[in-house]
Amino acid sequence: MHLEEQKVRWAAGHESEEMDERVRQRRSEEGGNGVKKKKKRKDLYQHSKVKFLSNAKGNSNRNVARRLQRLGIDVREEDVITPAPVVAQYCRENELRPHLFVRDDVLEYFDGIETTSPNCVVMGEVEEGFSFDRINRAFRVLIDMPKPLLITMGNGKFFQRVDGPCIDVGAFAAALKFSTNCEVLNIGKPSRFYFEQGMNALGLKPEEIVMVGDDLMSDVGGAQACGMRGIQVRTGKWRPDFEKMPVTPDLTADCLFDAVKHIADNGFRL
Amino acid sequence: MSKISSVLIDLSGTLHIEELAIPGAPAALELLRKHVHVKFVTNTTKESQNLLYQRVRNCGFQIEKHEIFTSLSAARDLIIRNKYRPFFILDDKAMEDFEGIPTEDPNAVLIGLAPEKFNDSTMTAAFRLIKEKNASLIAIHKGRYYQKKDGLHLGPGAYVSGLEYANGVEAKVVGKPEKLFFESALKTLDPNVDFSTAVMIGDDVNDDVLGAIKTGMRAILVKTGKFRSGDESKVKNVASSFVEAVNMIIENKVESD
Repeated sequence: MHLEEQKVRWAAGHESEEMDERVRQRRSEEGGNGVKKKKKRKDLYQHSKVKFLSNAKGNSNRNVARRLQRLGIDVREEDVITPAPVVAQYCRENELRPHLFVRDDVLEYFDGIETTSPNCVVMGEVEEGFSFDRINRAFRVLIDMPKPLLITMGNGKFFQRVDGPCIDVGAFAAALKFSTNCEVLNIGKPSRFYFEQGMNALGLKPEEIVMVGDDLMSDVGGAQACGMRGIQVRTGKWRPDFEKMPVTPDLTADCLFDAVKHIADNGFRL
Repeated sequence: MSKISSVLIDLSGTLHIEELAIPGAPAALELLRKHVHVKFVTNTTKESQNLLYQRVRNCGFQIEKHEIFTSLSAARDLIIRNKYRPFFILDDKAMEDFEGIPTEDPNAVLIGLAPEKFNDSTMTAAFRLIKEKNASLIAIHKGRYYQKKDGLHLGPGAYVSGLEYANGVEAKVVGKPEKLFFESALKTLDPNVDFSTAVMIGDDVNDDVLGAIKTGMRAILVKTGKFRSGDESKVKNVASSFVEAVNMIIENKVESD
């Protein structure tokens, strides 16, 4: 493969809060590996550019980075990409006046955007503070529009929490689409538009980038559809039956560490 | 044309509108009963059989409670037939129709109209049952939205669609216009019923009339209730009201579509 001579650059998928907790647990269990791991991470930053392309839609980039730092993961705020600021920018560029169905933590990104007489609905985190009234308000705004537009931060079916899988924004988008026949625009993985934000931030060509994530369709499949390579980790929402699904990862690794190790051991080639 | 043996009759809009009977309908029903078996069929997600029965009685109709077959009855039948132990997302008022149904260790999710129960924790509970326990998803119906005094509200169809998307499954819908609904209602009259000898009378051209026709029944559209001009062009048999529909049946003038 002609790419083998190139250094593999890398965009690692940031996992959800709950997953981070698992990573931390695993780390403390594998305490002896800590030093080696630090070295690998240093290698990774030395040899590659790293961005964290997340569908986290309930927290600001600052808080996402802080949470990861608290878990001992070396992440800078400017390396975190989440949908909310991208959606806000999209609204500015397209003169959209959104009805915001998002968590307070990401409202700052929408400062200065007109929200009266809305011509679209922006839907983000639905886990907390979600109630029938809130989704019904979004529904009423959509049904009154001549051409209803719903912008969602991702179209995930579920996300993994320590206590089990939880229904995600994609399901509520499907609900609103069914009842209002709205157009749904996903700004989050696996949309090409969103992956392009990551590519632009890295300033690299897709074939120079690897995406690492736990969601086969959204992370791995989405990246591959944009010309990047995709690594599946066997953590988070990974299930054994992923192997029967129509997306084949370029590599499957037990966890992020193993994925990095594999690449580092191969002289930063994949 | 083969002789008509069974007739399914819609309630609201066909026999009565709110608290008032369609003029002449109570007497016409008595006349019809001398010729055929009847069953009253309606889509409801929150009104129990008992509640509907009281309303129809108050309009002056002579009917028995067990003669009413609702989308909730169809759901109950389906649950018993498949030994489902449902997780109910249903209005408390409708729970009356599900007395005695076991619910521990659920293997099905049943969705009706219960807006206050539609929140992320109920949806996640339903999602997990379907995903992890392979529970069946059952919808009383898939209405998109409905009107209340304070404005429009999302209907159960929205939530059913959300769960279908998240789980990659298709819900079993039990109300009109599903084939299963008409079949179940008719089979309560005669387990070996010949559908071509059965007629549906209703004011909803899609849910009542076209649904019944798809099942192999004949059907009459009445121009009362939610009837809108233009509906009559979609079907063969149209009556000005329930009274005329009864005459068409007695005179065996109901054509097949």
